[in-house]
Amino acid sequence: MILELRDVVYAYAGANAVDNITATFDAKQLIALTGPNGSGKSTLLKLVARVLAPHTGEIALDGRRLRDWHAKDYAKQVAYLPQDPDPAFSMRALDVVVSGRAPFLGRFAWERDSDYDEAERALALCDAAHLGERYLDEMSGGERKRVFLARVLAARPQLILLDEPLSSLDVSHVQQFSALLRDIVDRTGVTVIYATHDLNWAAAYSDRMLVMQRGALALDATPGEVMQPDAIRELFGFDAEAVRTGGRAWLVPRVGGSEQ
Amino acid sequence: MLALLLVIALVLASSIGATNVSWRAALAGDVTARSILIGIRLPRALLAALVGATLAVAGVTFQSLLRNPLADPFILGVSGGAACGASIATAAGLSRLPGVVPLIAFAGACGATGAVFLLARRREYTDPTRLLLSGLVLNAFFSAVILISFGLSRQSDLTAALRWMMGTLFGATWSDVALLAVLLVIAMATLAAIGNDLRMLAFGEDDAKSRGVNVERVKLIGFITASIVTGAAVSVSGIIGFVGLLVPHLIRMMWRRDFRFLLPLCALGGGVLVVLADLLSRVVVTSSELPIGAFTAVLGVPFFLSLLRRNR
Repeated sequence: MILELRDVVYAYAGANAVDNITATFDAKQLIALTGPNGSGKSTLLKLVARVLAPHTGEIALDGRRLRDWHAKDYAKQVAYLPQDPDPAFSMRALDVVVSGRAPFLGRFAWERDSDYDEAERALALCDAAHLGERYLDEMSGGERKRVFLARVLAARPQLILLDEPLSSLDVSHVQQFSALLRDIVDRTGVTVIYATHDLNWAAAYSDRMLVMQRGALALDATPGEVMQPDAIRELFGFDAEAVRTGGRAWLVPRVGGSEQ
Repeated sequence: MLALLLVIALVLASSIGATNVSWRAALAGDVTARSILIGIRLPRALLAALVGATLAVAGVTFQSLLRNPLADPFILGVSGGAACGASIATAAGLSRLPGVVPLIAFAGACGATGAVFLLARRREYTDPTRLLLSGLVLNAFFSAVILISFGLSRQSDLTAALRWMMGTLFGATWSDVALLAVLLVIAMATLAAIGNDLRMLAFGEDDAKSRGVNVERVKLIGFITASIVTGAAVSVSGIIGFVGLLVPHLIRMMWRRDFRFLLPLCALGGGVLVVLADLLSRVVVTSSELPIGAFTAVLGVPFFLSLLRRNR
């Protein structure tokens, strides 16, 4: 899998939400997409997911431009999970997950046993095999996140795009879910790009961090390079100091103007 | 189970009525029994089943397309447009010509749907909220036109117009049955063809797009199909409320599955409800017929509430 973005621009109402982004992504990587609110993270994910089409620039998967892909074929390769998915009607978890197989179905075709096998495999991969028969409205936020992650995995895509999958999870679930993403990347070789606000968790688990600012790519580097208090202060306006432990820098808020 | 229920309802509806005739007599060659059962009651019961099926199918389609559990076939101005057409035709004195009122009602339904769709469309995107809002506003406008038309109509024409507005299957013919049956089969085949894509809309339009669904095309096909059959049903039966809203919810409470499962189940459930409601509207008082729409609510609402209580 290789995803290339070249000079990609997308504008809402005259302002560039995604401003001239160029980047390349390889297989088997966990990539955190960060940046302040409104910096263009969601828009960038939607462009790669083919929900939106770039106004200028090119996106190509495996050397083929997005518009040259058949929509269903592309959906077999790239799966996208919007922020806080909220189905209009409550459904059984297994039915939610198996709907991730939709790009493989013909016009009048129904899911076959093999599709349900894939759905169960995906649920198991997300430590959610026990949730299959439960209904969405009977689940906790953490359980729903696992079910929807299984749904994007059900098509065995090469690239997964997650829009703020950690939002509204408590701290232990953030840890579990981050570890789960890491584990899935290592075990399946899929590339995951996920938008997140949590710099420390992103740095602890990801291979690479992208920081967006006003639509542009301000930083594209390893977690160690991104987690510098000066850079973070400038990009996020977050008055941080670094605490080093276990060979890794953690950013904590500087309280009361104390000097290091 | 629903199919069996529908057959029982159809047998009941064709056997019970103001005149006491039996199927045994009709089959034995009794001419009166035959003309009542085959000429009047059977087409009426079948038309009731078809109208109910159509409205419920349109209801589940609109709810899935708009991702809104309150959507029903009438909210998009379909009934308003049909009633508007019918009342103008009545005011113009056309109601005494056979077949003219249903035809104009159908034209009104199609025109209203087209207007609502155009109003809601902005830069190649159809916004569900704007769609609902446009329907609501047009319905209000249609109500005004209907009242004005009634004011201009002759007293003698008004009774028939009012009966139509309240929903009636009086005078159902085999050609109505055939027409609606053909339309319903075409509509269900069309909806089944987009069923795989349509059920993906439940997860949101962005999600569906990312799964390779051509969302705008699915919405367009779904709306047009559901609107045309609703228009046809309204033109033969007048306005029968609650079916399109109630039946999909009833079915969803019993079978919590996706659109492709719900579509045939809603058709059967809608058929059962309207056949029974029509039967009640004929037999509760023998001197005249009461509005079917009232009985769909009388039958459906208690059932709905009991399911709602059980599910919570």
